Amino acid sequence: MTEIIDIVKGYILEEFLPGENPDELGETTSLITGGILDSLATIKLVAFLEERFGIAIQAHEADTEHMDTLLDIAKLVQSKR
Amino acid sequence: MSTIATHATQETSASTPGRVNVVPYLLVLLQLGILALVIRQFQIESAAFLRLTLVAIGGFAVNALLPLSWRLPWFALLSLSGIGLVFGLQQGAWLVALGLLLIGICHIPIPFWARIAVLGAVAALLAVQRAEWLPAPWSRAIWPILGSMFMFRLVVYLYDLRHEQVPASPWRSLAYFFMLPNVCFPLFPVVDYKTFRRCHFDQDAYRTYQIGVDWMARGVLHLILYRIVYYHLTLAPSDVQGALTFAQYVLTTFLLYLRVSGQFHIIVGMLHLFGFRLPETHHRYFLASSFTDFWRRINIYWKDFMLKIFFNPLYFKLRRIGPTPALVISTIVVFFATWALHAYQWFWLRGSSLFVWTDVAFWSILATLVVVNAVYESRHGRARTLSRSRWTLRRFSGIAARTVGTFCTIALLWSLWTADSFSAWFALWRGLFDGGLGRTTDLGLLLAVAGIAAVRGPAAGSPGVRGSARPRWTRIPWSTAGTIALLLTLAALGTARVYSRLGPQVASFVHSLRSGQLSRGDTVMLERGYYEDLIRVDRFNSQLWEVYMNKPVNWLDVSALGLDRFTGDLRQKELVPSMVAQTRFGTIRTNRWGMRDREYERRPAPDTYRFALLGASTVMGWGVSDGETFESLVEDRLNRERAGAPFARYEILNFAVPGYELPQQLATLERALEFAPDAVAYAAIGRDLHGSVQFLVGAVRASTPIPYNFLRDLLRRAGVDASMDETTARRRLDPYRGEIVSWLFEEIARRCRERGAMPVLIFLPQTYTGIWEQESVEALQRAEKAGFLVLDLRDAFRGVDTASIRLADWDAHPNARGHQIMAAHVYDAITSRKDAIFVPREARQ
Repeated sequence: MTEIIDIVKGYILEEFLPGENPDELGETTSLITGGILDSLATIKLVAFLEERFGIAIQAHEADTEHMDTLLDIAKLVQSKR
Repeated sequence: MSTIATHATQETSASTPGRVNVVPYLLVLLQLGILALVIRQFQIESAAFLRLTLVAIGGFAVNALLPLSWRLPWFALLSLSGIGLVFGLQQGAWLVALGLLLIGICHIPIPFWARIAVLGAVAALLAVQRAEWLPAPWSRAIWPILGSMFMFRLVVYLYDLRHEQVPASPWRSLAYFFMLPNVCFPLFPVVDYKTFRRCHFDQDAYRTYQIGVDWMARGVLHLILYRIVYYHLTLAPSDVQGALTFAQYVLTTFLLYLRVSGQFHIIVGMLHLFGFRLPETHHRYFLASSFTDFWRRINIYWKDFMLKIFFNPLYFKLRRIGPTPALVISTIVVFFATWALHAYQWFWLRGSSLFVWTDVAFWSILATLVVVNAVYESRHGRARTLSRSRWTLRRFSGIAARTVGTFCTIALLWSLWTADSFSAWFALWRGLFDGGLGRTTDLGLLLAVAGIAAVRGPAAGSPGVRGSARPRWTRIPWSTAGTIALLLTLAALGTARVYSRLGPQVASFVHSLRSGQLSRGDTVMLERGYYEDLIRVDRFNSQLWEVYMNKPVNWLDVSALGLDRFTGDLRQKELVPSMVAQTRFGTIRTNRWGMRDREYERRPAPDTYRFALLGASTVMGWGVSDGETFESLVEDRLNRERAGAPFARYEILNFAVPGYELPQQLATLERALEFAPDAVAYAAIGRDLHGSVQFLVGAVRASTPIPYNFLRDLLRRAGVDASMDETTARRRLDPYRGEIVSWLFEEIARRCRERGAMPVLIFLPQTYTGIWEQESVEALQRAEKAGFLVLDLRDAFRGVDTASIRLADWDAHPNARGHQIMAAHVYDAITSRKDAIFVPREARQ
């Protein structure tokens, strides 16, 4: 889990939050409801997760229940590996 | 188990979901009490909404004390009782039964596609009934709410049933579909079922309650701001003359959206009171800095609905063709679906279809802008921050420029969306370029409203949005203090004893905001709607659609009844002689001369005093049966009570025709004078000034021959011709309206006197407040100056509940009781001036 969180966190910081302090992006920081991941960023992140972890994510999983925090994303990835 | 915690148990209660301390509980109740007072003082929405608010406050007080597991059933039961409260037991039961049928179909143990098929078949049957092709045993009034509850939520519900692992619970399903505030709001945010399920008491209870109060207060503020715009700042397209009025027109059409955002804040705020920590529905949409940003901020629930049902499924299917083409196609489909579902929504709310080209253009242009913006963002990204970023002059000016650019573009697009037609919209631009800078006195007020609306978006910093620590009750948080201050200010402003001390201008301004009524523009539209098939009413951009929502498809229609026919002259139409038509309000019979009246001889019998009565639909008796018109009642009473004093008999010949304006009365006069009247009484209802201009513009554009040199010359002077669009023609003719009306009155009076008839003007009040009150003073002065004997009955309905004497909300014609009241006043007015009126013909000449 920690490994997944670190990889996803690194991607989000580099792709969507360049120059931001990594300490401010915690495991439970709201990504979708907090406005960091909009629909365009979410589909980019999905493409990254699928390629990086070799999993397939369904359209109905690209939502706040599964992708609102780093922890949610890690759980989703973990459940599909 | 009590769920109110005291200070001493605060730390232990922090881990108990749904618990709230005594002090915050009472504080929330206090704020809700003030909020209810403000809703009452400003008559926010409807009387039913005030009752529902009181139910919600009482329901909240109980809900917060119940064990957590009881709260969802309690909310569901409260919601069902709210339906009964608004619709009554019988109609409420129909609504609930239909809803249960639809929910039940979603859970039939058959394959998913089969459930969809059954649901589709039932929906099709309901649609046939909604269109009134088949009768329905329930009231028409429940359709908009039934539609609002199920037309989109069923889609979301089915989608989540298919993908969710969590079993559905009956209480949750009932709570979701029948949720309490919906019964008062046909326009309702598309609440996501999964979010609704997940957010119930998922965080600190007080924080959720307080956000609810904050948002409800903000919603009320938005609705009051909306009234300022709607009553005091909106302009008719023909009022646009120069840059300032153009800016005011464009800005106010966009600001009218405050009504939707205000309602949605109230709705979601109320749901927070029951623990549903739903996301905000709008987020400072006037401050969007790009088109994608605008799409994300305005009606967020709709955007999420589109994302879930259309964008994501399609994008995931298409992404193999590449992210950019998939993005473009999916976004276009989202906007197409938005346009189509808008029409679908309209069908369930109104029962009629909607297809307007400006609507198509609006969504197409917005789709193009958003697609271009989205592709740009997907390639270049957009600025996001985790913390509050520092403002520099460069950053500020960049964002400000983008925000102003986005706002202006959207506002212009909005004006296209709300325009009657493309030509009407282009006429606005002609008004801009023809008028130079122009003048407006409303700019300060307009900017103040826009400023408050822009910054008073949902409280992003309210407790509970970020962080999870339970507040200690050593002091009231600033955001709560702000809400209390806002509510107290509104409550004080809404008190007559306070605002009446602020000077007559302020007092009258505040007083105007304290009731829900139609604006000047919508009142004119309502009047036009009696005789025309209005396109604009078929849109959500006018408050009038709400009035029309419950209007039956086949309401009274003179043409459909075969009562009138085309004349080819300036009168344009007349009643068909010797016709009998049955309406929902009784029989309408015309005599052999084409009057809605009993039979008369062409020449009156000796010792008979004869009135020729001119007027429009109210005088003709639209919506009452033969013998119930005020004209008929007055005639009967004169013959009953005044026979022989001084005349043996009295006759009132009714020449009124629905839709007639003052120029048509002049054209009808010659025919009326053929019946040798002793007096010609024109029954005016206060639309002579704007109605004459409106009629002449229509006549010119339809190339109807105008047989009066004066009017032809005046139209030439004003530069109005048949090739002109309606807006430009009205703009040019409006400055001459006083001159037009004076000439028409003078001409009528002159012709009457030449034929030995006394010209009398009977001014009748209307059954609603509106434009007629503003115009009546000038019209009466001009009539008096032209030589009419004026019987001013403007106060005839004073002290009467006008809602009880009109046909319906969407038809302000007086009903039978209204005609009785008018008859009493007309009789008194005539007899009080008997010495001036009942003069023998020989003495008059």
